[in-house]
Amino acid sequence: MIKFWRVAWHEYSRHVFRKRFLFALFSVPILIIFMVILVIAMIIMETSVKPVGYVDYSGLLAEAVAPPRVKWPDQTIPMLAYKDETIANADLQAGKIQAYYIIPEDYLKSGATKVIYLDKIKGSAERQFASFLKANLLSNQPSDIANRIINGNDIIVRSTDNSREASQNRFINILMPIIAGILFIVGMSTSSGYLMQSVVEEKENRTMEIMVTSVSPNQLMSSKVIADILVGVTQLVVWAIFVILVLVIGSNYFPWLRDFKFSGEMTGIILAVMIPAFIMISGLMAAVGATVSEASEGQQILGLFTIPIWLPYLFIGVFIQNPNSPLAIAMSLFPLTAPMTITLRLGFTTIPAWQLIASVSILVISAIGAVWLAGRAFHLGMLRYGQRIRWKEVISHQKV
Amino acid sequence: MPTVEISHISKSFGTLKAVDDVSFDVEKGEIFGLLGPNGAGKTTSIRIMLDIFKPDQGKVSILGGPMTEAKKDHIGYMPEERGLYQEIQLEKCLVYLATLKGMDQTEARNRIAGYLERFDLASSRHKKVKELSKGMQQKAQLISTLIHEPELVIIDEPFSGLDPINTQMVKELLREQRDRGVTILMSTHQMHQVEELCDRIVLIDHGRTVLYGPLDDIRSQFSGHAVVIRTPDELPSLPGVEGIDQHNSSSYRLNLAQSTDTQDVLRLLVERGIRIDQYEIAAPTLDEIFIRVVTADDQEQGEGL
Repeated sequence: MIKFWRVAWHEYSRHVFRKRFLFALFSVPILIIFMVILVIAMIIMETSVKPVGYVDYSGLLAEAVAPPRVKWPDQTIPMLAYKDETIANADLQAGKIQAYYIIPEDYLKSGATKVIYLDKIKGSAERQFASFLKANLLSNQPSDIANRIINGNDIIVRSTDNSREASQNRFINILMPIIAGILFIVGMSTSSGYLMQSVVEEKENRTMEIMVTSVSPNQLMSSKVIADILVGVTQLVVWAIFVILVLVIGSNYFPWLRDFKFSGEMTGIILAVMIPAFIMISGLMAAVGATVSEASEGQQILGLFTIPIWLPYLFIGVFIQNPNSPLAIAMSLFPLTAPMTITLRLGFTTIPAWQLIASVSILVISAIGAVWLAGRAFHLGMLRYGQRIRWKEVISHQKV
Repeated sequence: MPTVEISHISKSFGTLKAVDDVSFDVEKGEIFGLLGPNGAGKTTSIRIMLDIFKPDQGKVSILGGPMTEAKKDHIGYMPEERGLYQEIQLEKCLVYLATLKGMDQTEARNRIAGYLERFDLASSRHKKVKELSKGMQQKAQLISTLIHEPELVIIDEPFSGLDPINTQMVKELLREQRDRGVTILMSTHQMHQVEELCDRIVLIDHGRTVLYGPLDDIRSQFSGHAVVIRTPDELPSLPGVEGIDQHNSSSYRLNLAQSTDTQDVLRLLVERGIRIDQYEIAAPTLDEIFIRVVTADDQEQGEGL
């Protein structure tokens, strides 16, 4: 048993303490942070704090109430009242305002305004003027009705046992299982890739023959799979910490993040699907590593597994429209497409229990099969240096 | 009890019979030569011995019984295809492989330090294995084979890639191990090394045993009735000598008639005033025996087809 953990630790440390792993590990959060900063920078750059003027012929803004506070990273744009268009236009020409609105006398009837600008008005200015106008139109209404109208509809779909709910305004709850699914798949794909590479390297280096005279082939293979899973778990833990930090810190700035509701049931389903999926993919990668003679050859075969794993993303539109369609059910039951399909469907529907049980059972059987296959491929291929093993040989009755 | 007992093992890969009814024993504390041409079945026999492959037939007994995981800690193996982790530092690689043989890290580190000094590798301990020359990697592999003080050492082509100085050092090391009671099974093509080191040999060809026994017995079995002499003079024709083969300007092989006594030939040469620098009974070298046996076996196999 000591040897098992020694091999596992060796495998784990040689991947985790490599520069390329640390780069891959932190590149995902860094990329997300970079993208968030980019979006914020674009919002800030897009926002001009130059005032927006208005000429009110309707009298609705005679005693204008202050516009509602904007949410960061938007910045407040002052709204300036003009008595007539000549002065407003002079200020526009002088560059004192970025645009001015004309609210006609019959605004309540027509609902139309006119906006005058020299350079196209920014989206943020349009949005802020619209909410300024809306706030003033509703200034005579009780605050709860006003808020209700301003915020619009919030239709919540709730499961009969109240354990789960979905809402248009709480899209973070739809997004979360998808994000978790992506992180899981990326994590398991990269770490399984390392496993395959490690097996091919040992074949290429001829280290395998030395290893099997110190530990049993089964011990060697299982410790590699465990190390691979631990490498994946390390990635996922780091990314999960990052996601939690985003939720905790981000909710101070982005109120929609506060709507995230942790679901134990959903987490349980994701884990029940992903754990056997992880073992299955590790087993397949190890088997590929044992059958090929060069790492580059393994990378090509890797694609055959990667394509079906990511395939459900192509059907995301179909899943949103009908998350319980025959296609969605079929893809939930096929082992390579199941992990992603299940996590995608989780955001949009309550998956029937029988489908979850069937999917997890198929994945568990597939995981056992993949590990068995890896063991056979390993026995057959470990000493055939420079030779590719045919899959027919792996699944045949040949004595190893 | 022999350290290794191989009894009628056979192994086929598809239609190819790699090993066909091979048997031999390796006694404790001897250096045993496993010989044979390329593709004869030597490596397959070794892999069966180490339980990497299961034989289709036959029995293998190692250190007193079937191979177990615990016994692996008492065996040192250096395969023909050398294998060390290329991307990690030499010392780290050796320590890791030693710990897989049941050693603790401190003990492994101490012993490795001694071996690295002896093999002139101490200054390269922090280098990645891939940065070492072929000869240095070969020495590192040998350290990995011996570091855990095994009872049985199985070593395939131990001298390939080594210069004469390192070859000499490895030979001394193998003798030293044998003197400590370690059993060594050595597979090599370098017959002069086998003649120098081995007590007994087995020669495998086409997967079958074609020669087996003590080296001296095998050589006398193949020696003809002849003498080799070295002289600066020209040789006259002598009674009882059926033929003279000249090897170079001063070396001759005299093939004698069955009734001729070698002492009589010597006396005749002295009487005729021939200056003799060397006079010895001609025994074939292992190289000659190897070629003779393998060629004959190839012909037999060819006829059999």
